[in-house]
Amino acid sequence: MKKILALLLVLLIFTACNKLEDLNQNIKDPADVTGESLFTGAQKNLVDQVTGTNVNLNIYRLIMQYWTEVTYVDESNYDLVTRSIPDNHWDILYRDVLKDFDESAKIIGETTYGGDPSPKVKSNKLAIIEIMSVYTWSVLVETFGDIPYSEALDIEIPSPKYDDGLTIYKNLLERLNTAITNLDPTWGSFGDADNIYQGDVAQWLKFANSLKLKMGLVLADADPGLAQSTVMSASSNVLLSNADNARFIYLSSAPNQNPVYEDLVASGRHDFVPTSNFIDFMNTLTDPRRPFYFTLAPDTNTYIGGPNGVVSSYGDYSHVADAMQEPTFEALIMDYAEVEFLLAEAAERGWGSGAETHYNNGITASIEYWGGTSADVTTYLANPAVAYATAGTTWQEKIGNQMWIAMYNRGFEAWTYWRKYDFPVLVAPDDALSDVPVRFTYPIAEQTLNGNSYSAASAAIGGDDVATKLFWDKY
Amino acid sequence: MRKFTLLIVILLFTGLQVAFAQQKTITGKVTSKDDGTTLPGVTVVVKGTTIGTVTDINGKYTILVPPKYDVIVFSFVGMKSQEVKVTASSTIDIVMESDIMNIEGVVVTALGIPREKKSLGYSTQEVKGDQVSVVKTDNFINALSGKVSGVQIKKTTNMGGSTNVLLRGSKSLTGENQTLFVVDGVPVNNSNFNTSSQSQGGIGYDFGNMASDINPDDIESINVLKGAAATALYGSRAAGGVIMITTKKGGASGTGGVEVKKKGIGITINSGVTMGFVDKSTFPKYQKEYGAGYGDYWTETDFDGDGVPEIWSNVIDDASYGPAFDPDLLVYQWNAVDPESPYYFTQTPWVAAENGPITFFEKPLTFTNSVSLENSSNKGSYRLSYTNYTQKGLMPNSKLNKDNVLLNGAWNVSDKLTVSGSANYTSTRALGRNSTGYSDNLVTSFRQWMETNVDIQQQREMYELTGRNITWNYADPTDPQPIYWDNYYWTRYQNYENDNRNRFLGYMAVDYKVLKWLSLFGRFSADTYNELQEERRAVGSIATPFGIGTGSDGSLGRAEQKSGYLRRDITFSEYNFDLMGNVNKDFGQNWNLKGIVGLNVRRTNYNRLISATNGGLAVPGLYSLQNSVGPLPLSKELASKVGVNGIYASASLGYKSIIYLDGTIRRDHSSTLPIEHSVYYYPSVATSFVFSNLIPENKVLSYGKIRVNYAMVGNSASFDQLTDNYNIVTPMNAPITSVAGTKKNSDLLPEKTRSFETGLEMFFFGRRIGFDVAYYNSNTSNQILPLAVSTSTGYTYKIINAGQIENKGVELSLMATPVKGKKFQWNITLNWAKNWNKVLSLAEGVENLQLGSYQGGITVNARVGQPYGVICGTDYVTVNGNPVGESDSARCINPANGRYYKTATSDNVLGNVNPDWTGGILNSLTYGNWNFSFLIDVSKGGEIFSLDMYYGLATGLYEETAGLNDLGNPVRDPIVWVDPADHSLGYASNSGGVINEGVNPDGSENVTRINAGAYGAFGYVRNPDKAFVYDATFVKLREVSLSYNLPTKWFQKSFITGLALSAVASNPWIIYKKLPYADPESGLGAGNLQGYSVGSLPATRDFSFNVKLTF
Repeated sequence: MKKILALLLVLLIFTACNKLEDLNQNIKDPADVTGESLFTGAQKNLVDQVTGTNVNLNIYRLIMQYWTEVTYVDESNYDLVTRSIPDNHWDILYRDVLKDFDESAKIIGETTYGGDPSPKVKSNKLAIIEIMSVYTWSVLVETFGDIPYSEALDIEIPSPKYDDGLTIYKNLLERLNTAITNLDPTWGSFGDADNIYQGDVAQWLKFANSLKLKMGLVLADADPGLAQSTVMSASSNVLLSNADNARFIYLSSAPNQNPVYEDLVASGRHDFVPTSNFIDFMNTLTDPRRPFYFTLAPDTNTYIGGPNGVVSSYGDYSHVADAMQEPTFEALIMDYAEVEFLLAEAAERGWGSGAETHYNNGITASIEYWGGTSADVTTYLANPAVAYATAGTTWQEKIGNQMWIAMYNRGFEAWTYWRKYDFPVLVAPDDALSDVPVRFTYPIAEQTLNGNSYSAASAAIGGDDVATKLFWDKY
Repeated sequence: MRKFTLLIVILLFTGLQVAFAQQKTITGKVTSKDDGTTLPGVTVVVKGTTIGTVTDINGKYTILVPPKYDVIVFSFVGMKSQEVKVTASSTIDIVMESDIMNIEGVVVTALGIPREKKSLGYSTQEVKGDQVSVVKTDNFINALSGKVSGVQIKKTTNMGGSTNVLLRGSKSLTGENQTLFVVDGVPVNNSNFNTSSQSQGGIGYDFGNMASDINPDDIESINVLKGAAATALYGSRAAGGVIMITTKKGGASGTGGVEVKKKGIGITINSGVTMGFVDKSTFPKYQKEYGAGYGDYWTETDFDGDGVPEIWSNVIDDASYGPAFDPDLLVYQWNAVDPESPYYFTQTPWVAAENGPITFFEKPLTFTNSVSLENSSNKGSYRLSYTNYTQKGLMPNSKLNKDNVLLNGAWNVSDKLTVSGSANYTSTRALGRNSTGYSDNLVTSFRQWMETNVDIQQQREMYELTGRNITWNYADPTDPQPIYWDNYYWTRYQNYENDNRNRFLGYMAVDYKVLKWLSLFGRFSADTYNELQEERRAVGSIATPFGIGTGSDGSLGRAEQKSGYLRRDITFSEYNFDLMGNVNKDFGQNWNLKGIVGLNVRRTNYNRLISATNGGLAVPGLYSLQNSVGPLPLSKELASKVGVNGIYASASLGYKSIIYLDGTIRRDHSSTLPIEHSVYYYPSVATSFVFSNLIPENKVLSYGKIRVNYAMVGNSASFDQLTDNYNIVTPMNAPITSVAGTKKNSDLLPEKTRSFETGLEMFFFGRRIGFDVAYYNSNTSNQILPLAVSTSTGYTYKIINAGQIENKGVELSLMATPVKGKKFQWNITLNWAKNWNKVLSLAEGVENLQLGSYQGGITVNARVGQPYGVICGTDYVTVNGNPVGESDSARCINPANGRYYKTATSDNVLGNVNPDWTGGILNSLTYGNWNFSFLIDVSKGGEIFSLDMYYGLATGLYEETAGLNDLGNPVRDPIVWVDPADHSLGYASNSGGVINEGVNPDGSENVTRINAGAYGAFGYVRNPDKAFVYDATFVKLREVSLSYNLPTKWFQKSFITGLALSAVASNPWIIYKKLPYADPESGLGAGNLQGYSVGSLPATRDFSFNVKLTF
């Protein structure tokens, strides 16, 4: 008895001495991390999201009718709801990209770096984070219109209000200008933690100006004055060759493989074929990029696309080119061809010169990037249906059609430019739930989690519908 | 201390000496008042001592009564106990009266303390062990369904699956709502390890709930403590009520812990076999008119390379919207692709499969065998039991095995000191649990995505013949790789999971009677287990999300992999240390005080390690981590430690067995709250008024009691909700981290549940009829919950203290004995309960809390002003463009194509997961040694969304998608106009298509036909989510049993003392349901996410036969 009591006493003392609250510690996950590691992750999440072709995440290749589904044709018919696609796009960009960039900037800002690097390295890092953030924000505005911005990324405001899209866009341009000013190419930045330019600040400067050029032109119809000054101040220091492309090189093993490989090859599925709309268009032009874009249709010597948005047989059509299905196939978030086409547009708007040259440069850059020869380029440019003088009646048609072809692997950007130029002419499939979307509906979750702000925003933009034209998409 | 010991020794010796001095022998016989037969096995105890015996086979007993003791207590299960004063006579014969209601019995209350039921100011309801062990299932909890009012039991059809137990509604918005299980005073962990992906309809398995480790054959009785006052002493975890389980101990059962003397060892052998049969009303009925395809076309492929394509069935299409069957038409089908197939490149008739998916299921067969030994003397008692449970499941290659050993023992060291202990070892091994949810679940294929021309038995033959993955679903006949579905038998025999768990549950306790009215009790208990779960995917399978993804349990956001191996290692332990002082003192004739002062120290550890291969297996068939093709992904590790130190006191004051007043208070110190809020107190008060004791004995009112109670229960946070951590992600040329998706909160306060309950119990006409009715009201506030926030905040969830849920309800139990003769007796028990649940508030400015989101754009939510768990999605619209909701407004149709308009928004309330009421009627008829009983179980109302109908109607599997339309033409035929150029002339008499019921935007009745000839017409493509929300009501014949106790006189001369036979049918008939082709109970698993039906196994009707032998 005495022993038992003694034992109990010891037990009591033992438990009393331990501070109970000390048990409540997560000993497996870090409480502190470097800002650089957050940057690397956010950058990868961003590139994955705009590159992949998972039907739950990214259906821009389907919207732009580059590809169509063959069996489960819901997304090719613009069903955004069943798989909550706007939700996933929104969640990833806000939570997995912008939040991590934001946190990364906060930590880097507070970090005192040892050794002897110039404070310029730190400010370069912060400027690069800012540029990538602006890029991400612009994708969100171009997708949805009004979005949470001034109150976003603040957990103290669980239901942030939506800001006017144009106001956000202008603010983004200001932020971009500041970041450009802060970049100092004589110093380094992220090094290997940057999987796009490996920390090369001179390259980031070109990227930032190219982004500025692009964003300026997005505003061309909404605010021509601002658009002009933006474009003109940006256009001198943009990407100058394919070597300047903002490329993200994937690795051979999961989870760092190209998401297109995961969706097309690792999944073992046969969901997509290029559409007849796209292939026929390229066939008419005898486009030299076809072998780099597609395989020949089985048992034929031609490229045959599947009917868009209709159940069809995978085995009957051309498929996505093998090289594009490699796990290490590179992804682009900005490229030289795109910049040249934008410069062509700027020239047409009178904010530059040499529209035809830029147009030809864009086509040349694209063909060469994909593997075509200079002979291919010459032949192609000589085609009256391609040549700038004869390719169409308006510059929108000329640039829009060629932009469509050049942006084959850049679904989201292709959608933006299609909305800007209204070319090529895309027709929704017969069974489509809507016309070709000109924006995404807001996430379903916003209706339930942020209902009041959602309703206000829906009213402000003219209705939460895929057919509601956004502020910059005037025509 | 030394003096104290000395005192004990002296007391002991004097006691013994007195005992030797003068004692008296009493003999007698016990008979039953009902039929005059003698009663063997009656417990006979000298009151105030531990001296006792039991009556022999002839109802006779002999007992030695020590001096100064003069009362003998006779007790027997189902009989009223009697106390008889010893007189001069040495013979006492007793006639015992049956007490079917057991209303004045002793029940086990919180902390394992036995109390007279009449003294309780709160609602409890008891179920005897044999009522839950009669049906041999893998989870005894299922057998409680319908037997206790206010308990909602929801069992799945998954093998070894988890069962959700809800008492008086959901109280916590996102926390644990299930009932706490306590065995012999020791809390038993009831976690379920289902992943977050699994619970939202993604890939995964239902690993069952841990309380299913409790062996039903070891259960003596179950007492359900319903209200917060009953459970306040358990603190936070008991907010959802407590199910108190008392295990069998050595000696005669049912004596409330009184040790009795019985000669020799008692042995019981129990053996049962159960066979299951698929309940066809819970499985699809397929159309038999059309075969493979997403439309009316064939696949034309040049298989033999002769330059001329042949006609093939659409092997790539996992749908049945293809060409109409025609027995005279010969086509190449899936079985013509593989060179090893007997049908290689052979045409076969285009007909519906002879053996449909229902032939895939096997007949579940279960064997349960148990043996127990028990013995007791006035020195102590023990019981040792071993049970083996072996089940072969419904699916090929599935089985579940359990071995359970339980040793209970008590030793009376002296008449003041008793030590007792229990050791329970359980080993559970499962192989081939069925995959649940939408993806990677072959039942989802059966219910949503398949071809009606595929003969399942031919699939089996093909697998058995080749051992390879000969699927019916190729990318193309000329590209023979499986595309969306593997051969079903390949899936079952190659891609199976297995898991095993070794669990030890036990305690040691010391009970020391310091004084006649004061005792001290100390107990140390442990519940520990380790579990290994292994998942595998064989080389050659289709790719599916596998391995480790994002999220803390790695189950979401996984990459597609074609082969792989994954293991989860789980260890769990919970230690409880209890120290209690018990006071039980009479003051004068009329007053009695029972008091407890105690402390509880609890420590819980939970560790989990998840590892998996990456990019496939290097060597096929070898399931190990080192066999990974790619570098191993980062493992997921979790180490959780939780501690609570509690101090409590309770007092119960009784006056003349008429009125009782109880009060409790507990102080908890929790490890999971911030230090400034980690200590909190909560009290309860309860009163019981036995008013029938105030009125003279009469023939009408036998018993009447009113009870009222009020309680507050605090609840703390779960592990690690206070401080933020980052996630580490697989590096890419440089380290990668990310901000966690949930924002923690360092200012949390404890949750509070306040509850009020009042009840009335009355019995009439010699207890032939009675009822127990309760009204309760509980309000849980300050809830700790991960509030789903707009991800534009950068987070998915934010941990907050907010929200209030109210539950109000009425519970009714009716008990009656309509017939009571000498040999025949008929008892009826009716249980009924209705709970009104309402979310009163969430966080400030937040009107909706999303609990889960599912495939189909469906969410389950807590919404202010609505019951907990509303199902939201797209709805039909009225002519005004508003959602139809629950109004009976006509649905608006687009006159251009005859299709319904749907809401653009997905936040429309389509239903809620809570039933309106639940109930059960148990009838028990006894004739001599025969007993026949049956239980009808009802759950009325509530809604369930069926993803099976959402897709299965779209893919043309079900009968509803074929047949004739109003014109007598096949619905799938094309729409034909009298004049295609002038629709005003209407449809031709040979037109196909159907007319949806509804109105045009101008209010006129819809007359436009929809084209039903291709994928989607009836399913999700053209209809809102609302079309697939069904009433979840069911009426089930839950249990029918017939048992027979062989007359003991038959084997009087043998060593056998009893032999009982029983035949039981479990779930033999679903009398009524609205959900098509599935069991409305069959959810994904236990937990707060209910109301979603996808790819569930059909229910089975189970028939068993049991033999119980005692000697």
